[in-house]
Amino acid sequence: MAGAEGGVEADNTNAIITRIEHKSRKIETLLKQYKPVEALKTALEGTYAILVGDERCKTAHWLVVHRAIMAIKDVDGMLSSLDPEYHDILMKYLYRGLATGDRPTCDHFLRIHEKLTEKAGLGCILRYLTDTVNIV
Amino acid sequence: MAVTAVHQFAQCITCHAWSPDQSMVAFCPNNNEVHIYKLVEDKWEKVYVLQKHDQVISGIDWSRRSNRIVTASHDRNSYVWNLEGSEWVPTLVILRLNRAALCVQWSPKENKFAVGSGAKTVCICYYEQENNWWVSKLIRKRHDSSVTSVSWHPDNILLATTSTDGKCRVFSTFIKGVDAKDSKKGTSSDSKFGEMIVQLDLSSSWTFGVKWSPSGNTLAYVGHNSMIYFVDDVGPSPLAQNVVLRDLPLRDVLFVSERKVIGVGFDCNPMVFAADERGIWSFVRSLGEQKALSSGSRYGSQFSEAFGKFYGQSKHGVSNDAVEASRTRGIAHENCINCIMPLGDRGTLIRRFSTSGLDGRIVVWDLENEQDLLE
Repeated sequence: MAGAEGGVEADNTNAIITRIEHKSRKIETLLKQYKPVEALKTALEGTYAILVGDERCKTAHWLVVHRAIMAIKDVDGMLSSLDPEYHDILMKYLYRGLATGDRPTCDHFLRIHEKLTEKAGLGCILRYLTDTVNIV
Repeated sequence: MAVTAVHQFAQCITCHAWSPDQSMVAFCPNNNEVHIYKLVEDKWEKVYVLQKHDQVISGIDWSRRSNRIVTASHDRNSYVWNLEGSEWVPTLVILRLNRAALCVQWSPKENKFAVGSGAKTVCICYYEQENNWWVSKLIRKRHDSSVTSVSWHPDNILLATTSTDGKCRVFSTFIKGVDAKDSKKGTSSDSKFGEMIVQLDLSSSWTFGVKWSPSGNTLAYVGHNSMIYFVDDVGPSPLAQNVVLRDLPLRDVLFVSERKVIGVGFDCNPMVFAADERGIWSFVRSLGEQKALSSGSRYGSQFSEAFGKFYGQSKHGVSNDAVEASRTRGIAHENCINCIMPLGDRGTLIRRFSTSGLDGRIVVWDLENEQDLLE
């Protein structure tokens, strides 16, 4: 199975990496235009399609999302304009950030975590804890 | 208020069931006994104690027409209890399990009952007249993990199960000699025993509390990821919907009508879900909303303290507010609710129901006082 489909999988991975690179450029542009919320939305969009890829894709995508989250200054403003459908995926990335142990990342992510929990409820955390399929 | 009565019967209740006329309630106080209480002159009195199991009883069901009680226990056995004179006489049912029995339910015709188990199997038990014996027939190799809940379709053939492997499945339990071939030819009576009709793979986490709607057209079950699932047209092409919960996950559900469901669980307050005229399911409200909104701190104290440590801030700490909130986690229950039972005449519309949970209470609810929830 691995032999025959290895080529297809590699193609798929490359396609995903290309998409992430494209996303990254778009986010940089939005950040230059002082649109951090738009940038975060772009970062979170279509995440589930990217998570089907391998570890390399996930790491590449994490770096993009991390960049976008770190650029958020007004947390309340961001949460009020973010669609509820993105709450679950944002929570997953917040936990990934908290797991890095990097001081500035953790400080910032913990602040967002508190606000997001207030807004999205404990169910959102539960869905992070129990999801064994879409690991970010 | 929707709560009409709160009874503190024990420290903890694993499951409960009502007698056919609802004058008696049977429950397991988290040990190997079943206690039966009867309402005598406005007071609940303990009238029977059923002792036969060796370990915690995980399921009780009291049949409406035949007045028989079936129990399932972690000791891997079931008993069918018959009231003879003034005594409940047990009959052992050998389930042939090597793990705990977790849940049990009588079929609608009461000629069979289903037991879900930790041995990744479901036992369908039926009575064999000639041997005077309950026989257990197993559905094997279909579940990848423990079977947490079973529910009978009104046709007495189809059985839905939920499991800790995250799936919900529907099986045919047609048993020759017990179930008559339906002359009208429902699709269900064509299938052989143990045949899987459908497997629903909607949840990535444990699933619990499966129930059929009164007509058998819709299936509802819950996931431990704080989601509830509704499935219409169960069969080759099912229509599935999910509703994301804001709060803690549910453990059990009950259809009060074809288009309305009550869910209970770790949130301690029953939640109401309803389908609109297009058939889209959504969360309506929690039956304990008033309290939940008035308390300043939104989480119970165990959460507040944990969150306080997590965020390193004093405002979540052990203030009086938080302690107050912990005492009123739910309006009637103080801990996880794990069982919900209908009350009143068997019909398509249920107005009253009872819940029991880890706080040892049985609470009776009536939707009659909740104007906005009545159709």
